[in-house]
Amino acid sequence: MATTAPVRRRKRRSVPIGRILLLGFFLIFVLWPLYWMFNTSIKPSDDYLTVPPVWFPAHPTLVHYEAALFTYRGLDGLINSLIISLSATVLSALLGTLMAYSLARYDTGGKHLSFWVLSQRFLPPIGIVLPVFLIYRQVGLYDTHVGLIIAYTVFTLPVSVWMMFAYFRGMPKSMEEAALVDGCTRWEAFWRVAVPLAAPGIVAAAVFAFIACWTEFFFALILTSRTAFTLPTVFRAFIGFQGAQYGEAAALAIVSLVPSIALGVLAQRHLVRGLTLGAVRG
Amino acid sequence: MTTQTITRMQAAGPPRRLSRFGQWADRHFKWLLVAPAVLLILALSIYPLLFSLVVSFINYDFQVPGHAFVGLKNFERVVFDPVARWSLFLTAWLSAISVAIEFVLGLLVALTMVKSFPGRGVIMSILIVPLFISPVIVGQAWTLLLQRPFGPTNYLLTQLLGQEVTIGWMTERPWLYISLIVADVWQWTPFMFVILLAGLTAIPPNLYEAAELDGVSAWQAFWAITLPHLAPMMLLALTFRLLDAIRMFDTIFIMTGGGPGTQTYTASYYLYTVGFTQFHLSQATAGSWLFLIFTAFVVTLLVRRLLKTEPV
Repeated sequence: MATTAPVRRRKRRSVPIGRILLLGFFLIFVLWPLYWMFNTSIKPSDDYLTVPPVWFPAHPTLVHYEAALFTYRGLDGLINSLIISLSATVLSALLGTLMAYSLARYDTGGKHLSFWVLSQRFLPPIGIVLPVFLIYRQVGLYDTHVGLIIAYTVFTLPVSVWMMFAYFRGMPKSMEEAALVDGCTRWEAFWRVAVPLAAPGIVAAAVFAFIACWTEFFFALILTSRTAFTLPTVFRAFIGFQGAQYGEAAALAIVSLVPSIALGVLAQRHLVRGLTLGAVRG
Repeated sequence: MTTQTITRMQAAGPPRRLSRFGQWADRHFKWLLVAPAVLLILALSIYPLLFSLVVSFINYDFQVPGHAFVGLKNFERVVFDPVARWSLFLTAWLSAISVAIEFVLGLLVALTMVKSFPGRGVIMSILIVPLFISPVIVGQAWTLLLQRPFGPTNYLLTQLLGQEVTIGWMTERPWLYISLIVADVWQWTPFMFVILLAGLTAIPPNLYEAAELDGVSAWQAFWAITLPHLAPMMLLALTFRLLDAIRMFDTIFIMTGGGPGTQTYTASYYLYTVGFTQFHLSQATAGSWLFLIFTAFVVTLLVRRLLKTEPV
């Protein structure tokens, strides 16, 4: 690009030791708890309390995984988490896209409606969950999959709406206008023209909604019990560590973090928009 | 406002071939699209809020029968509860310290990652991993590292420092606060880092080139170019993070359970115990309204400023 720019004398810096050290330390800081958790999950129980600690288990075992999934009902939690997160994700992406399109193309409700949706994102969950708990108990949604799906849909809607809002705003509207001039209904211009063009954005919004549901704990803790409990709530069984359930806790953690990390890393191109609700283009 | 532009999309009339319902639907298209989401939010967020407002003025307690109107009694109970005040105080302090550390650390790491170098993509993927992990698991991971006698932290410190270290990371002051902050920093520094890095890469590089030509030092360039350009992004990152930090609950639930005693009660944890282990539901809803007002205060304070500075 800058072929005609005058050649500048660049200061060749020596190796940036400070930067490498900082980054190195931070990498270790990030990886260390993950490694120790993995290490704990495959370590035989006899290795728990040795001094010095066992850094590399000589006889790795999968018994903790088996116990976590079956004895502690981790598998049921996993299945519930999948059902609930996937359903809420689909609903949230669908309703979010509908609303975002209307806000982006028709300025529906002006600024007020869009900021009202945004404000939902910043409500402290404790303020919502107490009355929802009381209502759910009355209408029979307490400890049901449907109940948690509805709650998660609402709780991820602000992010879906705002991510898709930013996405539609970034798309030229000439195609949809042409479709309208050609006699399409507004619905057709939306469904046949805009949605296919916005597909990558919808997928990205859905991924972040899924991760939010998958990792959510507070609503699940209060709104479910023995039937619709999700994976994160299974960890309650390991609090206090009266017995020696370190391996089970670690194994369940590994099982639970693999899907969300995989999805998140795959979608990292959209991460900035996901984290800032579309306010910043990554 | 006065000269609101009507786009061609808004002006377009419905096609002739539609039925009467189709015509009606097309005319009110924009409202039909927002209706499902708005209705759902109304049903599950606004209605519960109003309901809880009612609950906070009546007696709604699993231990006391009846739903009599009690006026401000529930609010009084919260306001005069020393544990409630302590939990709000702790929430403010813990979130302020965590967010400050996350901000500084995130900025430093972002600065090291601005220029491309071999392996940057892989490192980037590793650094963002904590963002995709449930806070429950983060608490679990740090528990495994810190809890005596299982966790290896004291052993490592003993080796490093050359003297016996026997810290009760989850039971002794001030270490339990440090443990909670470390877990929070571990999870959320990447948040700061990712947003600040996006801000840094958006600064036009020719500014730095011009500065270099003028013989400006790197430190001066940071103050004169980086900081002012990054300011809106910094405010955005801080606002978002702070609003999440004051809800802190999950890691505490797993790591300390609020204890020992009530030493690690945050606002959310306090309200949770009042509502769901003592079953004083109306007292808890009254408290959560007070907390809501507190949050709204913080939100308007921060978001107002954010909207003023931000033409991102």
